[in-house]
Amino acid sequence: MMVRELAWRVFAAEFASSKLEIKGEGDKAPSHLITPLGAQVNRLLAVGVLTDIDNIGTEEEPLWRARIQDPTGTFYLSSGQYQPEATAALSKIAPPRFVAVVGKVRTYIPEEGTMYVSIRPEKVQVVDASMRDYWVLETCRSTLRRIEAMEEAAKMEAPSEEALVKLGYPLPLAQGVVKAKGHYGEVDLQRYRNMVIDALKFLLPEQAGPETPMEVSDMPDEIEDEPEESLDKEKVVLELVEKLDKTGKGAQWDEIVSGAAKAGIERDELDEITSSLLDKGLVYEPVLGKMKII
Amino acid sequence: MEKDEIAPHVKEIARVLNGKVEESKIEEELENYLNVYRVSLDTAKRSVVKNFGGDPNALTRGNRRKVSDVKGGEQNVDLLVRVLTLNPKEVEIKGEKRQLAYGLVADETGSMGYTLWEPQRLLFKPGDVIMLRNAYSKEYNGRVDLNLGNRANVEQMPKDALPQIDAPAGGSYAPGETVKVGELADGMNNVTVSGRIVTVERREINTEDGAKVVFSGILADETGKVQYSAWADYQLKEGELVRISRAYVKGWKGVPKLNFGERAGVVRLKAEDLPEVTSGKPKPRSIEDIERVGGATDALVIGTIVDVKEGSGLIKRCPQCKRVVLKGACRIHGKVEGIWDLRVKAILDDGNSTLAVVMNRTVTETVLGQKLEDCVKRAQEALNPDVVREMVEEKILAKPMQVRGNVLSDEYGLMMIVSEASAVETDLKEAAVAMLAELEGFQ
Repeated sequence: MMVRELAWRVFAAEFASSKLEIKGEGDKAPSHLITPLGAQVNRLLAVGVLTDIDNIGTEEEPLWRARIQDPTGTFYLSSGQYQPEATAALSKIAPPRFVAVVGKVRTYIPEEGTMYVSIRPEKVQVVDASMRDYWVLETCRSTLRRIEAMEEAAKMEAPSEEALVKLGYPLPLAQGVVKAKGHYGEVDLQRYRNMVIDALKFLLPEQAGPETPMEVSDMPDEIEDEPEESLDKEKVVLELVEKLDKTGKGAQWDEIVSGAAKAGIERDELDEITSSLLDKGLVYEPVLGKMKII
Repeated sequence: MEKDEIAPHVKEIARVLNGKVEESKIEEELENYLNVYRVSLDTAKRSVVKNFGGDPNALTRGNRRKVSDVKGGEQNVDLLVRVLTLNPKEVEIKGEKRQLAYGLVADETGSMGYTLWEPQRLLFKPGDVIMLRNAYSKEYNGRVDLNLGNRANVEQMPKDALPQIDAPAGGSYAPGETVKVGELADGMNNVTVSGRIVTVERREINTEDGAKVVFSGILADETGKVQYSAWADYQLKEGELVRISRAYVKGWKGVPKLNFGERAGVVRLKAEDLPEVTSGKPKPRSIEDIERVGGATDALVIGTIVDVKEGSGLIKRCPQCKRVVLKGACRIHGKVEGIWDLRVKAILDDGNSTLAVVMNRTVTETVLGQKLEDCVKRAQEALNPDVVREMVEEKILAKPMQVRGNVLSDEYGLMMIVSEASAVETDLKEAAVAMLAELEGFQ
């Protein structure tokens, strides 16, 4: 049995800015998402406001897509038949509610350099505002520790896990920081420090001046509310993926691209559509370069 | 220098001169050196002693030192100590036989080994309290020993000049590494640790060598608690502050346990020696910290419950072996009429590490705010014992909690047997204000 993966406390803005996933080597080895501040996330705990929830599956086999807002941005959730507990819990919740989610990271890479992240929940629990506030404070503390670790790593000629552990950082963070340094290069730490300050002010409305609405992320929303047209196109792509899957092992990506082009769907649009399908859990990538209907 | 400041030095010089010179004369002479010639106090004292025909080396240099802060390679070490042991020894140096002696001396801060190079000149015996002057120290293999050479001097002092020191019988030891209770880890040897004796219990146990008496209990400092076993009677009393040296650590299921035997040193301390040590409720420890040493005794940990495991809630146990009964059958005793019980198996996570927690019936009842009987009733009404697990989830899942108990470890990681569990009460605003103030310093 493997040692349980810890549940990282990461704000939505940091989570969504992650562009590096390291696949586990060997059987059942866990994969990790490396955030720009070096969190090495396989599992996370997110607490925020469940703002909207849709069943994009069927009545019998629901597939929930939900958004959870924290003071910095939005977490995306999708939960289907393979997450029975979370799916059952989600079916009982009507937004807006404060919820806590424990879940695993899911990534989608439509093309090199672009990565969308979402949460595949294990547990979903309705909580109250005080627990959300506790999470915000804890996540501020956690984020600051990562910022400090990144600063320490920046001072080193060649950042190493050993040197960071020696400074008192736990091994998972030390490993993550070294990987983040290698992949993201110079990270704008002041931006994250400001994010923490804003989150703290969010806890202290009287300190923040007269107007502090809960800040909505300035990150682009990956999943916009879809007009009818895009739903139609999703259907087209979904059918295409099914049709092109001649072997049962998935449809070739380049065939999907050319097939979509014939149907009048440009490459950029196709990327968006497939990412949305992936996010909804309607398709998946059995191997890189192939796509299959779930 | 004023007269009253000079007085103690005059007394000291008089003592070195064995009262052969009147104190008024000494005072006059010393004042002359200090106030007219303005030499340093040390030089003045040495000169006065010399002028009156005494041995300046008999003077105390500077402040009296403590055994625990003598380092290797020091000259002119002055110590007030009790002689614990004295062992004669014959060595051959350059073909010549020489008599030496070695042994152990101690003060209230610890003990150290010594070598006496001129046993015929410097006379003392075990039990004596002596003022050692002009000794020198050497470090060898991390052990600091004292040397009494040809410049050394010994003066007998009253026996009550030092408190009674519980001491090892024979041999000399390095002071050992000084660690906090929370840093004690399996396999440590020769450690020095200070804290409060929270409990002490006398037990007789049978060993291969026959019946033995062991004194065991809990020792605590500000970093944690540890179970100890004293294999000799140090007259330990509940509530007292002690420093234990030459102790060793053995792990039991990862929980570090402190052991010390006849060769250990136990010294009583005053409250001002250990200002940080408080009794009563332990301060929270991070899971990371406990992970580092493999376990803990009666630790307080704060985190969020991120999972409630299968097998939590209402269960049935075999009346004979207490094993959990699944589908009406015990693994060992087959079909049995199980007895209702409550328990929780959950995961506590603080964002840096995870800790499995197990709660027994009493703790589960507190967490639920319901008794076992009520839970049985609920389950029977619902025709499903799982409702109790759902009740548990409702109460603790995703909630920040503080749990207290012993922490064990095995290949799956750390596990706490919870003795107390409650919701965390923190002043969020206060913590946020403090963090913000610190951060805005960066702006």
